[in-house]
Amino acid sequence: MKSFKLFHNNKESIEVHYLKFNIGKNKNNDINTKLLKIWQKKKMSDKEEREIGRIQELESTNLAREEIRDLVIETKKKVERDNDLLAERINKNFQKHNIKSFDIVGAIGAGKTAILEKISEKISSKYKTLVICGDITTRVDADRIEEHNVETVQINTGRECALNAYHINQIIKNKELSEYDVIFVENVGNLICPSEFILGTDKRITVVSITEGEWVIEKHPMLFKMSDIAIINKIDLLERLGTNIDKMISDAKKFNPDIEVITTSAKTGENINKLLEIMGLAE
Amino acid sequence: MKELIEKVKSSIKDIESVDKSTLRVLFHDTLKELKNHHKIDAYIGDFPTFIEPVHLGNNVRIGDDVLLGPNVYIGNNCELGDYVELSNTIVLDNVKLGNNFTLENCIIANDSKLNFDILKEKNCILKGITDIKENIEKLDF
Repeated sequence: MKSFKLFHNNKESIEVHYLKFNIGKNKNNDINTKLLKIWQKKKMSDKEEREIGRIQELESTNLAREEIRDLVIETKKKVERDNDLLAERINKNFQKHNIKSFDIVGAIGAGKTAILEKISEKISSKYKTLVICGDITTRVDADRIEEHNVETVQINTGRECALNAYHINQIIKNKELSEYDVIFVENVGNLICPSEFILGTDKRITVVSITEGEWVIEKHPMLFKMSDIAIINKIDLLERLGTNIDKMISDAKKFNPDIEVITTSAKTGENINKLLEIMGLAE
Repeated sequence: MKELIEKVKSSIKDIESVDKSTLRVLFHDTLKELKNHHKIDAYIGDFPTFIEPVHLGNNVRIGDDVLLGPNVYIGNNCELGDYVELSNTIVLDNVKLGNNFTLENCIIANDSKLNFDILKEKNCILKGITDIKENIEKLDF
């Protein structure tokens, strides 16, 4: 969207915006070339040119030109395969050091950090804990969690919408794992991208909140299919919002009959002990 | 931190007469010190990924899809190209790196300009002003 901003106060803005997002979409190569030529006449900066190239070649198989589509698909498959292999290696490493590990996933504002704060508060005296926080930018979450006497490492992903196994591996290869009992990974706030990358943790926990509405689970089946625990948070607001929690629970169970579903309130601490029991971290 | 960086700078000044064992200790002490002082607190450059601890000096320019950290020190006035990946590495002041560099456990001497693409190195000091990979001064340590 950067280039769009450049033309923000210009008559050409709508045209430029249209062109940018349609180059490559069109299967007719003549039209593609024409679109590209018109776009090039706009005297793009190097940066803008590269951005177009990126959309054309890598961002999505849907946007890939026909002639490189197979290559894009093959590359995506390779990336996923490599991620899975590395995740497997990470998990073996965790097991070797008797570390319990959890990947916490959820939308922005669902309560991942708040739950981690409550958990840290309860377990930090008993278990040596490391929390890896993923965010696009800032270390706001890491600072919040660190106040509860646990070690944190912040990863700022810039524009990546999920952590991957490589990020985790880069951190743990620089850590003395025998010093830790529990490792949490708080993924980037998102309910879509994390489903593409496993991280090698023992369990994946997906956090949703009743403020997101009762359809949130139904609309994100992939993540719940690959999660071990689903947390429905902010139940202290239930009376006011009237969200249909039964539907949320049955949706999660429908996608994944083995999933453990628990309702919590990170604000009041309701059911946090029960959650710790499910995670095998009870006091 | 500054003192340690100055020590690194002076100890690699003459690459031929580097005392490797002393440098190795100094290198690890410097990276260790990073953990005490530098946490990511700002969003800088063109969408790099940071794994803390990372120190960024003033006037640093960073390309696309760069992965920095953990344990990375970047001095002042440095420029990193696209797809650069650094971990456990000290980059001293006024350094320029080309695109697609992967460096682990390295020190890049101040004022080095490595104006070429694609370089994979581990456990070494790199120094030079060159457009050709083969012309870099390199010392494994």
